[in-house]
Amino acid sequence: MTSLPDARGGALPASTDFEKFFRAEYPVIVRIAYRILRDAHLAEDVAQDVFISAQQRFPEPFGSDHAQAWVKVASTHASLNALRAGRRRTARQERAFEISAPADPEELALASEDGREVRTALARLPRHAATVLVLRHSGLSYAEIAEAMEVRVGQVGTMLRRAEARFRKEVDRATRS
Amino acid sequence: MRHVPDGTLRRFIDEPFAVTDRDTGHVSGCARCRLRCQRFAEDATAAAQRLEVPALVDADAGFARSRALGSTAPSAGTTLQFRPHRSWRLVGASLSTASAAALCVMLVVVAAAATLTAVFTPSPAPPAPVSSADIQEVAQVMGLNTTASVGGFRTPSGSEKLPFGTLSWTSSGRSEQVASLTAAEAAAGMSIVVPTTLPNGVGGADRYEVMPKVEATIDFGAMVGSSLSGSSLQVSLGPAVAVSYSGSSMIDGVGTLGILDVARPVATATGATVSQIESFLLSRPGVPPGLAEQIRLLGDLETTLPIPNLPGISSGSAVIGGSRAVVLVDGSDAASGAIWEDQSGVHAVAGLLDRGDLLSVARQIG
Repeated sequence: MTSLPDARGGALPASTDFEKFFRAEYPVIVRIAYRILRDAHLAEDVAQDVFISAQQRFPEPFGSDHAQAWVKVASTHASLNALRAGRRRTARQERAFEISAPADPEELALASEDGREVRTALARLPRHAATVLVLRHSGLSYAEIAEAMEVRVGQVGTMLRRAEARFRKEVDRATRS
Repeated sequence: MRHVPDGTLRRFIDEPFAVTDRDTGHVSGCARCRLRCQRFAEDATAAAQRLEVPALVDADAGFARSRALGSTAPSAGTTLQFRPHRSWRLVGASLSTASAAALCVMLVVVAAAATLTAVFTPSPAPPAPVSSADIQEVAQVMGLNTTASVGGFRTPSGSEKLPFGTLSWTSSGRSEQVASLTAAEAAAGMSIVVPTTLPNGVGGADRYEVMPKVEATIDFGAMVGSSLSGSSLQVSLGPAVAVSYSGSSMIDGVGTLGILDVARPVATATGATVSQIESFLLSRPGVPPGLAEQIRLLGDLETTLPIPNLPGISSGSAVIGGSRAVVLVDGSDAASGAIWEDQSGVHAVAGLLDRGDLLSVARQIG
């Protein structure tokens, strides 16, 4: 089996199994991160981080329910961490961003305002509430959420209901401020 | 009276089949729980709208980037390098079947395909079936001819002017009947699995029909404003193969069993995102609010399989070949159908069979 140098200095197998896993899960993981961060570049950065960690943790992740659940929760937590820490682009990322194609200003303004309210509301939610909210609205079933968050499936509905009620209040609050 | 707990009621909105019959029955008979359900659904919808994000992500580019990051081999402990990449708005990618199927509803059903009187489940409220009047209403809004034939389009290829652009479609020909399963597979370029053991009363396969691949495109004109002007949405649907079975209990020429295999639909958007286009289409004045709401309530279309929701039909679920299927059964359990999706496409089985016989057929295919 061929090996690629690891971005963190180790050796990672260029695994076909991992590639299948990556291709299947990457769009989902990016979208989870984007839901929270509202920044396509940061979302892809988070996803790349998540998959590097996943590759170290799960040598053969394809078909593993545990690996699938893990990357989704990892993406949610990493994005919430980035959001709450107020992490901004590094100087390197800024440089990269500047040379990419400029977006439509009108779209940017609308997306920016809506994104600000969502980010603010998510940052104010308890972590488990933000997690269940994002996972559910990323399309995970109740059983998948239970697996990912290591709770009983019967608890998911209650957690989700509370999270949505709180999210609505926080969005209203962010909209007024 | 014991009311349904919050968590169960919330799950009822998303996964009604996972809730006990007792709770479901309670909700339908309890005004207070219905009101709570409505409030929960409103919050869920509001959250879904706020958390909606573009559907198009380029996994190939992501993987290439991942490999490139690996090959740069920075020293241990350094942060990852991030490279500029394409804007999401310009990325066209294959969507999941469900998302594309929903778009097909907009493109094909909305083009007045009377046979596809959509639409969707699950939904927060008791699902509102979409009538042919709804379809005609939408077709009028879209400026489409309502006399379209089965499949949505009158001719193998053509175009129509819409109030907001142009709808054009092409296909390799008309639907055709062929003589055998082998011929159908050859014509469609698909491998079709049929059951080897048939329930009592079901005769042999007697009709094979091949529907060609259809590609439809909406090009948005300048009249839609800066947000969508110049954008386009392409949906590729099919090919599909339908196999019908004869039998002793034929009713008015309807076969006892039918099997449909459809290749995974693909949707591609350029200029604007698919969700922007969907929002635009659903916001057209005159679109029946019930239909628009049903489509919006699907939430994340990538994980939701839209299925017909017809009056008098109860729905349930089953696992077929490792995939979750939606099972529809009529009130007398004399007719039933199942639809599911796997890597090879979307599959449907329906017939004058009870649920048990139907699933025995479906599980030979899935």
